[in-house]
Amino acid sequence: MNHWRRIAVLTTLLAAIAVPIAGCGSSGTTAATSATGGSADTLRIPYLGDMSVPDPDIFYDIEGNSVILSSYEGLVKYAPGSSQIVGALATSWTVSPDRLTYTFHLRPGVHFHDGSALTAQAVKASFERRLAVNQAPAYMLKPIASMQTPDALTLVVRLKHPVNPFIDYMASSWGPKIIGPGALVTHGGSDHAQKYLQTHDDGTGPYELTAFERGRQYVLTRFGGYWGAKPKFRQVLLKITPDIGTQELELKNGGVDAILHSFPASELSSLPSNLRVDEYSSYLRLLLYVNTNKPPFNNPAVRKALASSIDMTQLVNEAYSGTATPSTGPYPPGLLPSQPALNYTPNAALAAAGPKAASTKSITLAYTADESGVQRRVGELLQARLQTAGWQVTVKEVQLPQVYGYITNLKSAPDLLLITNTPDAAHPDTWARILFYTTGGLNFFGFHDATLDKQLDQALGAPTAKATALYQQVGQRVIDSNSIFFLGDVKNVFVMNKKLTGVQQVPAYPWTVDLAALSSGGK
Amino acid sequence: MTTLIARRLVALVAVLFGLAVIVFVLQAVIPADPARAMVGASASPQVVAAKRHQLGYDKPLPQRFVDFMGRLARGDLQDSLRTRNPVATDLGTFAPATLELALVAAAIAGAIGIALGLTLVAGGRAARWLRIVLIGGASVPTFLTGLLAILLFYSTLHLLPASGRLDDTLAMPDGPTKLLLIDSILHGDPNLFFSALKHIIMPAFTLALLPALAIARTLATSTQQVMREDYVRTARSKGLRERTVLLRHALRNAAGPALTMSGLQFGLLLGGIVVIEQVFAWPGLGLYLDQSIAYADFPAITGTTLLLGGAYVIVNFLVDLAQAWADPRIRTV
Repeated sequence: MNHWRRIAVLTTLLAAIAVPIAGCGSSGTTAATSATGGSADTLRIPYLGDMSVPDPDIFYDIEGNSVILSSYEGLVKYAPGSSQIVGALATSWTVSPDRLTYTFHLRPGVHFHDGSALTAQAVKASFERRLAVNQAPAYMLKPIASMQTPDALTLVVRLKHPVNPFIDYMASSWGPKIIGPGALVTHGGSDHAQKYLQTHDDGTGPYELTAFERGRQYVLTRFGGYWGAKPKFRQVLLKITPDIGTQELELKNGGVDAILHSFPASELSSLPSNLRVDEYSSYLRLLLYVNTNKPPFNNPAVRKALASSIDMTQLVNEAYSGTATPSTGPYPPGLLPSQPALNYTPNAALAAAGPKAASTKSITLAYTADESGVQRRVGELLQARLQTAGWQVTVKEVQLPQVYGYITNLKSAPDLLLITNTPDAAHPDTWARILFYTTGGLNFFGFHDATLDKQLDQALGAPTAKATALYQQVGQRVIDSNSIFFLGDVKNVFVMNKKLTGVQQVPAYPWTVDLAALSSGGK
Repeated sequence: MTTLIARRLVALVAVLFGLAVIVFVLQAVIPADPARAMVGASASPQVVAAKRHQLGYDKPLPQRFVDFMGRLARGDLQDSLRTRNPVATDLGTFAPATLELALVAAAIAGAIGIALGLTLVAGGRAARWLRIVLIGGASVPTFLTGLLAILLFYSTLHLLPASGRLDDTLAMPDGPTKLLLIDSILHGDPNLFFSALKHIIMPAFTLALLPALAIARTLATSTQQVMREDYVRTARSKGLRERTVLLRHALRNAAGPALTMSGLQFGLLLGGIVVIEQVFAWPGLGLYLDQSIAYADFPAITGTTLLLGGAYVIVNFLVDLAQAWADPRIRTV
């Protein structure tokens, strides 16, 4: 039987050939090749999935913000770490006393990536393009009645009616970005350059999008003609790595330099010594929606009892391991000067009254899928609390498009929904209108309060003091309705190589840092 | 043979039709709103309604089904709701990576399966240990094997990369095949070749493991049965060497069940690809499908499902041809 052994030996030898092959060729990514470990001019950051398209007038997700904000700029932006609006492509702006006319004075000496100069005409063309494309972010410009360009560096925008958050729209990460004539004229075609901007950019940002390889990576290359401070890294690679476990291993081994979201909170305390965690406040909030359209939660008394089941401190502490804090009001912190306080006080006796008064004790709790698993954990904790109170709770994971579909059949929608949301900008209207208004896009269970709708309509154009009061009243009505519970304020958590410095972030720009400000060891 | 081909073509059409119906029913049953997901939460009700109308989601269900099947019959897979590209273009972008991974995995599965199968036939202590390994190996989920492989070969030994299809500093070649191992040879670029090889080894081996074990067990069983046949005894009595008896006489006759198993395993392999492409960030159809499901991108889901289903039928057709070659009795059926 010697020949059988020979076959077995040959097989082993064949398998062993694979190992030396691994050592051939280029240095590759098997060892540390990141900015902080190898080629110091390239920064590597993973994305959990592809962005939809790198077109600022269509893009409306979170994953991909870094691409848009690095390659394009708006007229204004938020200052690092705050909600203070500062100039970007506009050096200054004025607002008329009737709050209908905005005059923007543009920064001279700014060039698009195609080499052409920034002009007021280009800004006007970009605004018109956003309205023509008419996708989700177009709503920010819908209030515009007319635009004039009295000179090359002045844009005058006239609104149809006062819109308090208008300047915040301009500063939003999904706000209007200025696109150059290289795209809109040369490659405009019949679709307003939508096809061209699926794989290219023509902004004024510190980086150019030089490669967009769907499923693999996006390459941002330093723009030599940038008007501002020169980015430290010559190149940024945004690598599509859909498994957070693989991302973690690559970060620990130097294959990438930073993970900007969804790092499992429970593992933050056991990171290797070459990594650090930076935590910053954000406007991301964990919410519990209540389906008020069917039993048992169409009964206000049952919803009130539900509020007594919620122990925010326990939920947040156990699920987020310090990367979130219990919410204190209906708006993200900092959006309103003062806001009504939440009154969720755990009380076992009151909580038990809910299922007793309900027509059914069997309820469904849905949570949206997230890579870090934190919402599943919150769901399980809530399930345990509610079952202690006497409910029979079925927990299920759902995808976001399913959640959007609930409004079409509210009777078959789940009873409770856990989801994390963020406002478009640092203005209370961008939170209240989308969540609380009857037709709001994130009002998943169609909560309806005619008075609240009216107050929001009044607040949109009201003087600041009155608007603030109206937003506070709206917040109080939502709290009293127990239709949405505000559970936690989630932080932006960046896990990165210790050598990476210059982290600048904005609370209103989730999962994003200013890539142009980052450097390796200050170089 | 003509009958066999005709039958398989009919089966291909039937399978694709069945898959199309299933995808449509799922699309109709799941209470998702792709139009809202596409235009975003802040879009006005008018914009959402316009998008819903544009996509045809506001039509009655029977009308939608007729439109859907009509488009498929014309080969129109529509545009992806997420990437905004024609789905056919997206499939052209992602399919080569999956094809290359599947081909390499199938080759590895075949090679390992045959080698292990023959080792089992040989018997002895090695075979006893191998049986234990086979039973143990078959019970490990593919994603876990993948993660363990990354931990060992990437994180601990620093031998192989954890993700992607190519070093991130290397540019993708323009073609012609879009299969990197072949294109790198055609371009005479050893750097590209070895980078592609290093990246494909771990996902391909992980993907090949379960099919290889199944093929090995089937081949071993069928070979052991054939080795007890009269004609094998006759061959031995003629003084032929055991290896010659096995390779020239027994193996061909024992190949039928192993080939059938290979066809079945290819289906499992395609299923495993979705998981493996996630774990290894392999930019193929599995990754595309996963991202499309999360977005309720039904045109993309439909296109990918039909392509993978078609591939499964075609591979099983090729297996039938191989069986007909191995066993002439099948050709007359």
